[in-house]
Amino acid sequence: MLDRTQAPPIYQIDRLRLPQPLLHHLDNGIPVYDTRINTQDVLKIEFVFQAGRPQETKKLVARATAGLLKDGAGALDGAAIAEALDFYGSTLNIPSNMDSVNILFYCLTKHLPAVLPVLAEIILSPTFPQHELDTYILRNQQNLKIDLSKPDVLAYRNITEIIFGESHPYGYNSFPEHYAALKREDLLEHHQKWYHAGNCKMFICGKTDANTLELLNKYFGNMPVTAAPAPPFISAVPEAKQVKLHLPHQDAIQTAVYIGRRMFSRNHPDFSGMYVLNTILGGYFGSRLMANIREEKGYTYNIMSMLDNMQSDGIFYVGTEVGNEFTQRTIEEIYKEMTLLQKEPVEAEELDMVRNYLMGGFLTMIDGPFNVSEVVRTLITESLPLDFFEHWVSAVANVTPDELQALAQKYLDPADMCEVAVGG
Amino acid sequence: MINFSRFELANGLRVLVHEDDSTPMAAVNVLYDVGARDELPDKTGFAHLFEHLMFGGSLNVPDFDDPIQLAGGENNAFTNNDMTNFYDTLPAQNIETAFWLESDRMLSLNFSRKVLNVQRKVVVEEFKETCLNEPYGDMMHLLSDLIYKQHPYRWPTIGLETSHIEGATMKDVRQFFFKYYRPNNAILVVTGNVKTEDIRLLAEKWFGDIPRGEVPPRQLPAEPEQTEFRQFTKEANVPVDSIYLAFRMAARSDPDFYVADLLSDILCTGPSSRLFRHLLKERQLFSSIDCYVSSYLDPGFFLIEGKPAAGVSLETATAAIWEELEKLKRELIEATELQKIKNKAESNLIFSEMSALNKAINLAFFELLGDADLINKESEIYQKISAEDLQRVANQLFRLENCSQLNYVARPAVSPSDN
Repeated sequence: MLDRTQAPPIYQIDRLRLPQPLLHHLDNGIPVYDTRINTQDVLKIEFVFQAGRPQETKKLVARATAGLLKDGAGALDGAAIAEALDFYGSTLNIPSNMDSVNILFYCLTKHLPAVLPVLAEIILSPTFPQHELDTYILRNQQNLKIDLSKPDVLAYRNITEIIFGESHPYGYNSFPEHYAALKREDLLEHHQKWYHAGNCKMFICGKTDANTLELLNKYFGNMPVTAAPAPPFISAVPEAKQVKLHLPHQDAIQTAVYIGRRMFSRNHPDFSGMYVLNTILGGYFGSRLMANIREEKGYTYNIMSMLDNMQSDGIFYVGTEVGNEFTQRTIEEIYKEMTLLQKEPVEAEELDMVRNYLMGGFLTMIDGPFNVSEVVRTLITESLPLDFFEHWVSAVANVTPDELQALAQKYLDPADMCEVAVGG
Repeated sequence: MINFSRFELANGLRVLVHEDDSTPMAAVNVLYDVGARDELPDKTGFAHLFEHLMFGGSLNVPDFDDPIQLAGGENNAFTNNDMTNFYDTLPAQNIETAFWLESDRMLSLNFSRKVLNVQRKVVVEEFKETCLNEPYGDMMHLLSDLIYKQHPYRWPTIGLETSHIEGATMKDVRQFFFKYYRPNNAILVVTGNVKTEDIRLLAEKWFGDIPRGEVPPRQLPAEPEQTEFRQFTKEANVPVDSIYLAFRMAARSDPDFYVADLLSDILCTGPSSRLFRHLLKERQLFSSIDCYVSSYLDPGFFLIEGKPAAGVSLETATAAIWEELEKLKRELIEATELQKIKNKAESNLIFSEMSALNKAINLAFFELLGDADLINKESEIYQKISAEDLQRVANQLFRLENCSQLNYVARPAVSPSDN
């Protein structure tokens, strides 16, 4: 007879090693990190230029330059570029990023020779047509208007601005007038200054081979080195201030609550410990905040805490949306959970669960070419050695309850937190 | 190509296994053939609330999440009109933990009053977060009500109103569980670094002794043919105007579903698609525009949604969409454009086969549809579609009397809020 009260045995994950990428260099010196895992006939190429907010001379120039690359390049107009990329079923994705411009390109390997010339034009010779910039501005102003009607967006914008200050690259928010002030010359200059071989890294993965490298060299190996790479960004932040901001929002029946503080980049010695501590507090479904505020009290559908790491800085925050009547009690409970982590060491049972959960997460990070390449890109662009991954795993495996308590005392003091609530 | 084995236990549980040794992980997916369409009109949102209760502990396991996390895994679920789907991903060597947990909650829940009380509140907060506190959040409520008059698709999965969720009783919960959460009403799919023979043994061990149930045959009212244009306009505190055009279309199992899917690619998928290129980029009539086809098991709808650019009236924006639709009805599409959307379809299918979890969810869905092997036939189905097929289906769909239109008109702001 099956005893259903007995859990099946759990086996530890015995080996967590990051598959090492091959490292090639194009003729002009661009490093190409190649994660060659052939599971499907697919390919992803990621270009990283150190051309983000720290390199801007004017607000939003980095985002607009990246956003308009595909709207005109060489002799091609936006329509011709779109047609060429779509015809071969390829996808070009340029996510918004603080520190760098990341150009993600996906296609079936067999189509690479046909689409690569177009991709090269987009990256090397964008024309930034004036009429495309005009519509880009109008469209983004309209979309911004929609975003600004959402309490959670407003709360996030405010907390990052409070933490870093409104003129800091990581802290400033977009406003309609920033879009309106963008000039075509700004974009040309930003591209000319930062999109060059000396400021570029490439990450490729999937079904790659010598032919892939030859093609990349043919189209990108001639890209000139026009200047030095962008100098490392030193994040200067004004004196910490503990702001508590409560903004009313028209018709809101829920309140978005964000509580957070400045933290650090992945290079900081406390990073791995905080990674575990954040998970315990609000980083997974079984976290203390979820257990208390959702599963015990039913105040919210979702509550989480995050460690956002930029290249040169970072933030920690707790975020949730709760019924207006629960706002005050939720804020109190969030602080209570922080204080509890400061006062009492985490029990072995809970720490074991979090550790195992994170080990499963590490295993997912190295599952398949796309995930591996993403880890490689994160480490390289954040100036971390490739064996950082193994050190990170072992730090998570070995962190003790005492060390976690000391970290909570250092970083999770309610008196150090900023607080934003937007709602009714 | 996704190779899989399929077998059935004596209690009617269908089991599908796909071996993939390129990943160290495994995915376990349990689909129950029950969704919002099976609810009573005065107890809507129940299937989704029930999904939440499935995490509140079962007969022999007080908590679902802790053991999965201890095994290095993650789990979640979703509910839609047609089904309720639960999934776990974990390191392959710990797959038995998922069998233990999934089988125990199929055997019986613990029917805890406290869990029901808390999850009612959680779902009400979810309702507020996604439908009431979000601009355009009641779109599915308004649209479903416009398109469907008889069929239960007329209410959205989250439920018609929060009072239906608040009114759910423990009696409702017990009845629903023993009516629908039975092995003969479920599909178990396992993918990843596993061996079929091991899975067969595990399935027998953990699910074999769960009794089958009497699942009532589904008798849903068919939605009568739409014969008149329907329109509803809501003035609301939304930041900008918005329009939605919904056209009734075929069910997921109908061959014309695939044709409609390609029509949506022609119109809105990718930067060279017609509505994006012509209406947003060239004529600058919209700040965003998109299309979807529903994957409903009963006849669904083709949706076009757009936000007119500042200063563009709803009438102008709507007329521009119709011009493009009329063109699709009138003119055969050119060979290169047809080739383009087929290349896109091929690419999408290959990229969708990269994750073990995706494959598990898709296999379960196609088995529910009646034939898991469809997963390997879709590519060919798309490749065989002709320009004439596209024109024929465009003429069927894009008729005014087959259209339901929802408009939001932005109310002028009373007090402009800053930041």
